[in-house]
Amino acid sequence: MNMETTLILLRLAGLMCLGLIVANFVAAPRLGYARNLAGSGNLVRQIFYVHCGYIVLLITALAVLCLGWPQLLLAEGMGQVVSGFFTVFWGSRVVVQLTYYDKTERRKERFWDLFFLLVFFTLAAIFATATSSTP
Amino acid sequence: MKELLNYGLLFAGFGLTALVIASLWIPKVLGWKEKLKDLSPLIKELWWTYSFYVWASNCFFAVLALGFREWFLGGSSSAAAMAGFICFWWSVRVYLQFFGFDFDEVEDTGGNRIAKLLLTLLFLYLMIFFAIILWWNLGGAR
Repeated sequence: MNMETTLILLRLAGLMCLGLIVANFVAAPRLGYARNLAGSGNLVRQIFYVHCGYIVLLITALAVLCLGWPQLLLAEGMGQVVSGFFTVFWGSRVVVQLTYYDKTERRKERFWDLFFLLVFFTLAAIFATATSSTP
Repeated sequence: MKELLNYGLLFAGFGLTALVIASLWIPKVLGWKEKLKDLSPLIKELWWTYSFYVWASNCFFAVLALGFREWFLGGSSSAAAMAGFICFWWSVRVYLQFFGFDFDEVEDTGGNRIAKLLLTLLFLYLMIFFAIILWWNLGGAR
């Protein structure tokens, strides 16, 4: 795949990451984070929200990188290592969704289950393409 | 100075490696399994998924600190951006350590006190050291 196309795909990945950030904020009330965590201890609740925050931070940084400086992800050495990391990151997210998440819960929200599987798979494929692209 | 920073990166890498290995015991030490048993299956799955990805990010930072020292000290704007991001990551963690987390639930044993002290020192080191790497790449190198 030529460099121009890969850069366009990386910008598309950036937009998808922005969508995932929004989805994280929508998920909190929809999945009842506060209600579900109400009975747990303070530390459990705090760790959950902190981990959510760190994931949002990581995806935000990735979105900024993809939209602003996608060529850095194609640079030899560090660029390809970062792209490789995000290939594994999103690829493993597909595996987690298919093998770890409760099938009954997934069936209840089949549309969103398939939608997010497609998003994670596409992101993994884009970063795999970036990893294998050499300038 | 560059040689000193090189050793500093090595130390950061080993510190992060120790952290990711030690993190494998945190669920047991803090009794997560017991504490999470009342959560709904979905929230429990999200809990473990998010924890895993934060842990994986720390693994990645360890790999970068150990394997890309020359790149981190090369004076490039991308190295500055990466160092800035890692510095911010650990600054948030330092803030949470002092003002965010409620550690009252953690058993007050000698081992836990030492572990907390070592973790706090490591987080402070990572925050300060990557701030120095940021400064180095923004012009401190010249």
